[in-house]
Amino acid sequence: MAALILPAGLLVLLLLVAPMAMLFRISLNEYSPTQLMLEALQPGNYLRALADPYYQGVMGTTMTVALSCTVICLIIGFPAAWWLARMDSKQKSLAVILTVFPLLVGNVVRSAGWMALLGRDGAINATLRGLGIINEPLQLLYTQGAVIVGIVAVVAPYMILTLSAVIEGIPRNLEEAAANLGASPLVAFRRVVLPLAVPGVVAGSVLVFILCMNAYATPVLLGGPQFKMMAPAVYDQFVRGTNWPFGAALAFILLVVTLALTVLGSAVVGRRYKAQ
Amino acid sequence: MTITRRTALGAALAAPLIGRANAQAAPVIVGTWGGDYGELLASNIDVPILRPAGVEVQQDVGPQDPRKTKLIAERQSRRGTMDICCLSDVDMYSMAQQDVFEPITQAQVPNLAHAIPTLKRPYSAPHIYSAKVILYNPAKIPVAPKGYADLWDPKYRGRVGLVDILYLANTEAAALVGGGSETNWGPAKGKLMELRRNDVKLYPSNEALAAALKSEEVWMTIMWLARGFMWKKAGIPVTHAVPEEGATSITFEMSVPKNSRNKEGAMKYLNAALDPRAQAGFADRMGYAPTVTNATLPPELAAQITLNPAQQAKLRTPDYAYTAAHTAEYLDFWNKEFKG
Repeated sequence: MAALILPAGLLVLLLLVAPMAMLFRISLNEYSPTQLMLEALQPGNYLRALADPYYQGVMGTTMTVALSCTVICLIIGFPAAWWLARMDSKQKSLAVILTVFPLLVGNVVRSAGWMALLGRDGAINATLRGLGIINEPLQLLYTQGAVIVGIVAVVAPYMILTLSAVIEGIPRNLEEAAANLGASPLVAFRRVVLPLAVPGVVAGSVLVFILCMNAYATPVLLGGPQFKMMAPAVYDQFVRGTNWPFGAALAFILLVVTLALTVLGSAVVGRRYKAQ
Repeated sequence: MTITRRTALGAALAAPLIGRANAQAAPVIVGTWGGDYGELLASNIDVPILRPAGVEVQQDVGPQDPRKTKLIAERQSRRGTMDICCLSDVDMYSMAQQDVFEPITQAQVPNLAHAIPTLKRPYSAPHIYSAKVILYNPAKIPVAPKGYADLWDPKYRGRVGLVDILYLANTEAAALVGGGSETNWGPAKGKLMELRRNDVKLYPSNEALAAALKSEEVWMTIMWLARGFMWKKAGIPVTHAVPEEGATSITFEMSVPKNSRNKEGAMKYLNAALDPRAQAGFADRMGYAPTVTNATLPPELAAQITLNPAQQAKLRTPDYAYTAAHTAEYLDFWNKEFKG
């Protein structure tokens, strides 16, 4: 039976593990402006990235944005997922398609839409000025808020679909039994539905958090030149600065931090769930 | 002869090989920008000059940075994916330092004989060039700026816009204002921080800056003369002033990677690119000046996209070695201090 995972395993080994190993090797090299990089085995790139307040700030911004997006997705996604899970099967397929709809448009195209909406002469500013509410246009584009809104719009469907799959597995009659025993809908949600949906909350949050930590197009297009998250910073080092060793080190730091936070988050939520 | 299943199969398998033997040579793969530039390459070089000579061309369209990355990644492989690589002068120099290009000589590219001597490099052919100037909105700034230093005037607080990706061009201009030169960017740091305190606006792309100039959000910027010419044609309210500090040239160059699979075709391509007929097309539509002395432009067009003799005499060429050695340092400064 174990042989069944062989094809997938080989594919992962070839297309993921091997390039990652190569990237890790590159991260230990030394940068040279004339020869691109010099063969070496030294941790200098990691030490420089970790010690530099600039990259600490970039990592801080990345984590803030990723956490905010995950929490927002959870808050807006849970009711939508519950509604979706408890829906009649007839309209359900339509609702699922509508949920997935934003994913049918590419990230760049979607961001262009947000730019048209949030820009200095965009729809929102034009409307507010037309109504006489403001005289000078508001700075909406090229802000952290714009990035968070843009990313949430991309990742919310992942949260909703993951949660709704888990909520569907919670028998409806448990909610009815709770009501029968005198629980208000809010209490039934808090004491019955939510604890049973924790696996979905964890899975959805992990998925969304990882996607947010690695976001590239949205921060570049909606955050503007002064806003930096890790994925664009990695790209900058590889492509603009042609500093592959430092870029590779940044990429691994991003990977390890994402992994660590994901494991930590799952463990904390999982423990609480067990305690209940 | 009867056609059996086996002979039919054999013929089908052999057909691609026959096709390959019949073709004169593989197409020349040109790694280039898309948009106007790619289109003009096709309509001025590929179709009118090379196709009649039996040379087919295919474009590998993409932005410059990924093209550089591709060159580096393919450096070790015997068979590259590009026969011609188009880059701007500064990037071409830094890639040439990685020893990835064939030397270009007049023996292989006869039209190099007519190229402007200061634009010639041993590793590339100069394709088109322009100069770095000041673009300003004449309705808002009635008196033409004299030099880059005018961008630092406090009365234009919040009205100066710069493009993020042109950090090197902006850094060099700031260095000149601070008394530096193409081999001394040191003064740029202080001057750029001064500009930042003066609420300079930063845009992620040329297009974003164009939109800001059009909506009159900003009134003045540092930009290539050629782009100013195109923007003016597109109805953006700008005109240009040549800085008294001396305009700096930007050349777009073409080179042949060492692992090109069609070097002969590539050299023919370079020669066609320097053909006076091909050069004039870029001037009219993109505002770039010819790099060969035997291409003539209508006087009215020439006045808009070239410098007068006095300005030409002060034209600066970037010091590529200095630029390559200091790019990482100033990119770091730009990202961390200026933008931070």
